[in-house]
Amino acid sequence: MSPEKSNLPAADDEWPSPRLRWVLLGAFLGLLALIFVSGAAATRTLREMHQQEQDARRALAERAQMLSSLSISIEVYNEDIGRYVGYPPEKSDPQVRQQLDRLTENIESQLNSYPGRRQREESDFLEAIQELYRRHLQLYRSALAASVAPQARSQILTMRTELLDWSGRLNAWNGRQLHSSDEALLSEFSRLQANLTGSLSIALGAGLLLVIASMAYILRLERQTRNRYRELAQSRHELERLSSRLVDAQEEERRSISRELHDEVGQSLGALLVDLGRLSTNLPADSAEIRERIDRMKSLAERTVGTVRDIALLLRPSMLDDLGLVAALEWQGREVSRRSQMEVAVESANVSGDLPDEYKICVYRLVQEALNNAVRHARARNAKVRVAGGANGIEIEVSDDGQGFDPQRSRGLGILGMEERVKRLGGSLAVRSAPGQGTVLKAELPLPVIAGTPA
Amino acid sequence: MRQTRVLLADDHTLIRAGLRLVVDQEPEFTVVGEAADGRQAVALAQQLKPDIVVMDVGMPGLNGIEACRQIRENLPDTQVVMLSMHSDEGYVLRALKAGARAYLLKDSAEADLARAIRAASEGKSFFSPAVGKVLLEDYMRKLERTGAEDSYELLSPREREILQLVAEGKSSKEIAHLLNLSVHTVETHRARVMQKLNLRGIPELTLYAVRKGIIS
Repeated sequence: MSPEKSNLPAADDEWPSPRLRWVLLGAFLGLLALIFVSGAAATRTLREMHQQEQDARRALAERAQMLSSLSISIEVYNEDIGRYVGYPPEKSDPQVRQQLDRLTENIESQLNSYPGRRQREESDFLEAIQELYRRHLQLYRSALAASVAPQARSQILTMRTELLDWSGRLNAWNGRQLHSSDEALLSEFSRLQANLTGSLSIALGAGLLLVIASMAYILRLERQTRNRYRELAQSRHELERLSSRLVDAQEEERRSISRELHDEVGQSLGALLVDLGRLSTNLPADSAEIRERIDRMKSLAERTVGTVRDIALLLRPSMLDDLGLVAALEWQGREVSRRSQMEVAVESANVSGDLPDEYKICVYRLVQEALNNAVRHARARNAKVRVAGGANGIEIEVSDDGQGFDPQRSRGLGILGMEERVKRLGGSLAVRSAPGQGTVLKAELPLPVIAGTPA
Repeated sequence: MRQTRVLLADDHTLIRAGLRLVVDQEPEFTVVGEAADGRQAVALAQQLKPDIVVMDVGMPGLNGIEACRQIRENLPDTQVVMLSMHSDEGYVLRALKAGARAYLLKDSAEADLARAIRAASEGKSFFSPAVGKVLLEDYMRKLERTGAEDSYELLSPREREILQLVAEGKSSKEIAHLLNLSVHTVETHRARVMQKLNLRGIPELTLYAVRKGIIS
């Protein structure tokens, strides 16, 4: 299995589906809802409990007040009645009688105004008290009507004690009621606590799961991004290598075609020319027609030699090999001057004579392209080529007085190609131009470190 | 009559064969050896001590210009006739600086070779007519386009005369004898010509003369 085939689809499968993203989002929303609902429920329960407690306290206070005033009334009533019953009717004070009547009314109204909302046990108590009171009242009324028999007197006293006893019991019951309502509240509270704890632990657990799931998701995304980045960097690197190999291959091809043209075609034509020349000089004086033909052949061969030489030079300037970079650049400048309307001046300083071939060809092609642009696109009248060697490398500057252009907007393939060549050797290229202002192209090539190793 | 001994150096057998035919046609020339590259040319010249080396500019290993420089350094009596495909100033000037006496284009080698060998063996300069034409055209175009003044106009008639004789390869002594002047006067004129034309050395002066069509 080839790695290319197995790699690409796998990378695509690994990419997380959008469904997973929606599931995670839903889970997050669910968790938030859960926290919100349990919070709201707890708040409501707390408010209810508070209300309940207040109600209970209010009811108790009301009852306690009622009962205490009832007890006081009964006590006073009993006191008075004791005094009243203890004397014969003629001696009894009419004022006491009036007070007794008033007290009777009081007790009755107090009994009636006892809170209507009662529990069964409480009602039983109250009914018992009312029943006792009614009997008591009957007895008392009869006692007032006639002289009181001694047993009736003791009967009244007994009933008085009983009445007090019942009211005490009612009071005690009320206390118990308060206690039990407290207990109910407490249990309600602990239920609430349990509820809250439960929902909180559910929320926490769910949140933890969600965090783990999200982290896994993010980690996977990160890993995939890293892989993608690596792939991208690698393919860019490969592209650069490929394009540099293309440039190399192109130069190599040009060089071999040029050599082939020069060595084979050029030399054969040269030999042909020499032979033809010799033939025509050695011809007898009277064979004018043959001489004329030979001369025509010679001039044809000469033109062909010229054409082949031009093509070969275009492909690979032999000056680079014969005379070095500076001479080749000067030659190029003169060639351009000859063939176009632009005058080229070439200046050079400190350019090493034994530059590696790739550097020579890079500088040469750079200048060639720049001059070509200056003639064809900028229609310049003058151009200047400056090449200077320094401690760190070579500086190349080509400037012209042509139309110029906006380097931000238009960047032709020519400039891209130059950049490619310069970058390959670790150099940099800058183009400064503006419409109507000419163009300055500057390149810097760092020199290779030559430590005894031929480049 | 002593024959002029010629060494041929070209990396192409066909061309060498053609050149040999041309040289052999002249009774006063004889080919003493053939070299297929620059290094071999230097070695053979050292060994054979020919009067003339006919040398191709573009050869593998050691190119013709470098080989010419080495031969001229070691053998001052051996003159070099440079053969080239290029009429460009860069080649001509470098060939002259390397010590070549004559500069021939391969296109016209057959017609001019004998004359070039003859001139060189007499210590005179020789250039293919096409070379002079190209150099002159380049020069004129440059003058025209840059609007520069022709410095030749600055020279006096006597200076022009001396310029031509120097460019033809004559020494100050010979010129003094020819013009019936003292050597010192010739030297002074020569220095003034160089200064006026802004030239450095005899090769540049020769090139200038070729360019101006003063010699060919």
